Amino acid sequence: MGEIVFAAGIPHLPAMVGLYDRAPPDVQAIVHNSFEALHAEIKAARPDVIIVFANDHLANSRIRGYPDFLIGMADEHRGPHEWFKPWIGCRDYAIKGDRNVAATLFRGMIRRGIRLFAEPGALKFDDNISVPVTMGNLDSLGIPLVPVLQNCIVPPIPEQQRCYEVGQALADIIEIDLAPDMRVALIGSGGLSHEPGGSRYYVIDEAFDRWFLDLAASGDHDRVLKELTFERMEASGSGGTVELFSWVVIMGATGPCKGRSFGYAIHRDFRCGFGAVIWDLEPQTAQPREQVPA
Amino acid sequence: MTTSRLKSYDPSLAVHDLVQDLKWDPDLREAFARDEAGVLDRYPLQGAERLAIEKRDFKALYDMGMHPYLGGQLSRLIWGNDAGGGAILAVNNLVASLTGKRQGE
Repeated sequence: MGEIVFAAGIPHLPAMVGLYDRAPPDVQAIVHNSFEALHAEIKAARPDVIIVFANDHLANSRIRGYPDFLIGMADEHRGPHEWFKPWIGCRDYAIKGDRNVAATLFRGMIRRGIRLFAEPGALKFDDNISVPVTMGNLDSLGIPLVPVLQNCIVPPIPEQQRCYEVGQALADIIEIDLAPDMRVALIGSGGLSHEPGGSRYYVIDEAFDRWFLDLAASGDHDRVLKELTFERMEASGSGGTVELFSWVVIMGATGPCKGRSFGYAIHRDFRCGFGAVIWDLEPQTAQPREQVPA
Repeated sequence: MTTSRLKSYDPSLAVHDLVQDLKWDPDLREAFARDEAGVLDRYPLQGAERLAIEKRDFKALYDMGMHPYLGGQLSRLIWGNDAGGGAILAVNNLVASLTGKRQGE
């Protein structure tokens, strides 16, 4: 039976890369420390694969035929896609994929009643995967990565309850369908408050961000499912904050457990709040989760 | 309570395809920079939709149902896409179009 050995939520704001050198030292420190912790704790957890859920940002599919979840099955993932390179300002990278894990995930989700699409070839990655990979130097770990790009912005959007169910199914697949003893790291990539393309592009909702980080670290998933609504996130930044649904997928997979944050950074030029949470997966803090029928 | 713009978008607008194609095709971007009208001619844009693109009127585009995320990308396709320069100009011009105010006003 496979095992979740690491789980985290971390933002992927692009300006944090390209404008990092111009940010105040205290902001740089929180960003640096968070990604350093991500790298170090994944390495220490010795996973066989890293599965990342992240907003697709309309990068791979037309708006008229938009998948809610799109898994990348390629043997290798490269990024960022050429148009996003100057916008993010990050280096190029190549990271191994895992076709077998991706296929198991694809098959397992469909069999559990969750419609998920799969791309056997190259996906176009923007900040969604490129920022955590390059800022966290995940490509240096030699661990395969399986990306699952998620519809966070094209209505109707899979909201918190559905995302949590997808996470529960993910845990079930890891436990039952993956190879015995396979160790899995999970990352939810996205947030915090921001409004890309909107009139409040420069507005960061600090009160929301701090409330969310505390909630995510509390392990109180009843409150997550009740209070982290589409409407609340839209009020904190339309079309951007909602990518915190990728964190909810990971919470659904881990079940209730407490987490640690590495501080909160707010910097106007980033046009997005920053803060990460790494969840502690010790059995004594986790409560049993309901099994998803196969 | 802020009303979500996401719930009022119109997925049938051709401007969405224009932005997606420009993102995905460097040759089309070059053509757009050289002959914008010629590229717009290739898409079944409504009259008001095309006029709003030509006038850089993002408020009008959003009012007719353009998805704001692709609106942000259209602004970068027009004004620039590099993190420290064009992308900032694009954000400032987009916000000015949506609010009627320049940055700092």
